[in-house]
Amino acid sequence: MLDFLLGVAVVAAIYGILAISLNLQAGATGLLNFGLVGFFGIGAYATGISTMHGAPWPLGMAIGLVLAAAAGAAVGRLGRTLAAEYWAIATLALAELLRLVALNTDSLTRGPQGISAVPGFFSGLGPQSRDLAWLGLAALVLALCWWVSQRVTGAQFGRVLRLVREQPDLAASLGHDVVGAKVRVMAISAPMAALAGSLYTHYISFIGPGQLEPFATFLVWTMVVVGGLGNAFGVIAGAAIVQLLFDVTRFIDDVFDIPSENAGGLRILVVGAALLGFLYFRSGGLVPERLRRIDARS
Amino acid sequence: MLAAEGVRKHFGGLAALDGVSLEIREGEIVALVGPNGSGKSTLLNVLSGFLEPDGGSVTYEGRPIHRLEPWDVSQLGLRRTFQLAAQPTRMSLLEVMLAGARLPEGSSAWRSVFRARRVRAEQRAAVERARGLLEELSLLPLEHHAAGMLSGGQQKLLSLGAALMGDPRMLLLDEPTAGVNPTLRRTLAERLRTIRARGTTLLIVEHDMNFVAELCDRVYVLDKGRVIAECAPSELAEDERVVEAYLGSVRPTAARRAPGATAPPPEVRT
Repeated sequence: MLDFLLGVAVVAAIYGILAISLNLQAGATGLLNFGLVGFFGIGAYATGISTMHGAPWPLGMAIGLVLAAAAGAAVGRLGRTLAAEYWAIATLALAELLRLVALNTDSLTRGPQGISAVPGFFSGLGPQSRDLAWLGLAALVLALCWWVSQRVTGAQFGRVLRLVREQPDLAASLGHDVVGAKVRVMAISAPMAALAGSLYTHYISFIGPGQLEPFATFLVWTMVVVGGLGNAFGVIAGAAIVQLLFDVTRFIDDVFDIPSENAGGLRILVVGAALLGFLYFRSGGLVPERLRRIDARS
Repeated sequence: MLAAEGVRKHFGGLAALDGVSLEIREGEIVALVGPNGSGKSTLLNVLSGFLEPDGGSVTYEGRPIHRLEPWDVSQLGLRRTFQLAAQPTRMSLLEVMLAGARLPEGSSAWRSVFRARRVRAEQRAAVERARGLLEELSLLPLEHHAAGMLSGGQQKLLSLGAALMGDPRMLLLDEPTAGVNPTLRRTLAERLRTIRARGTTLLIVEHDMNFVAELCDRVYVLDKGRVIAECAPSELAEDERVVEAYLGSVRPTAARRAPGATAPPPEVRT
């Protein structure tokens, strides 16, 4: 039981990083990124491919971060010509494109079988203390991303993002480069998603195209909506709750008399129901975004 | 200071601006009037960089600006407000005011992460300034409220305040008095005069002829995308084309009774 909870916590912390990343885009800036998993994939495959060729893990991770920042900036730049809805569709399409490339370029990504035996961290420790160490590492990275997110959104930079989210023309009239703000926030947040991808790949020692399915993006969206879009603390809580829910429902076929081949679909159904329920009854999430109170001291 | 030369803008087959030329000199308060659909807002959008003209040019302090992005125009010190001054619902008034300020430290993502102390120091002065301006606009008691929840008139005042936070050299105001109550209108007129006295040039789109007569040095009248008159506010009612296109029929006696800018404006019967 403890092993199970530890595993859930590690994955939840990694998803928490993804939730922080998405929250910077969708929550702070109003960028509806339906292709978040693409940036996760960039980090994951950069780690997978680099370590497969014998590169040390920090190199793979760094390559993933740099590539994701560049890709994020480029995708943010698309926001110049595309209205919000079309931009959202474009992100979904780009992430799918990336998945299909991963699926079909066997020489680079080993295609559908994916890259396995990615070296993990803390391999000298026993299983339980290894997970405990992983939890510490993931929580540390999560805390770092949260800190960056808080600093960035708390200053003028964040106010500009929020103004771009709600009244882009007003932001432009006050001298703020609306496109530049999107580019910059993508270049900051996309590497966070890549970092999560890299960590996840090291943790489970595997990356395959199946992990780049759009469902992963919507799982993070559910976490962000359940936790509270625009509230960095809320979305971390959302990540923990939804991940726990998602993992507990793994045992659905044991408790109820359901054929195990149907159980997987049922888990997705539960996540979907949580998303719908929150959108309908509590669209602000568990910890809604609050107005930021500024006083002379702050 | 700001000059438009033969500005044309078409939307499909419609000529919203059909060769508009005007010039605003430093220190002036100029009004832009005209019937609905005459192209006033389109002109303001062109002057502020929100629309690129199909033809003609706009120069601000001697440099062409009609191909610049709106934020670049704003950073040159030419700021504008909007006819529908919609404010964000999830930002407080104070936040919107600060967004109008120039805060180079806090605008940088890097420095807001690693130079938090300098970011705070820079912001402190701006907060003081913002509160002072909110006070003058009678909005200070609402400083921590959501900007988007204000009444329409209050949202207009807030957008004026946010624009002023950047110390603009020139302001383009799109119907600043619409939805603002009469008492506050008078305050607003005084306030705009103070702004001018402090060195900001003003171009105002306005339907309230009392306000125009009281405040403005000159008026441009726009109709069907063309400038049909350029005169002192007191001369408006004497111009037949203006009367026909915009004011409606005016009793001639009323027009003669308006000798100067401080005189009561023409009585209007539409």
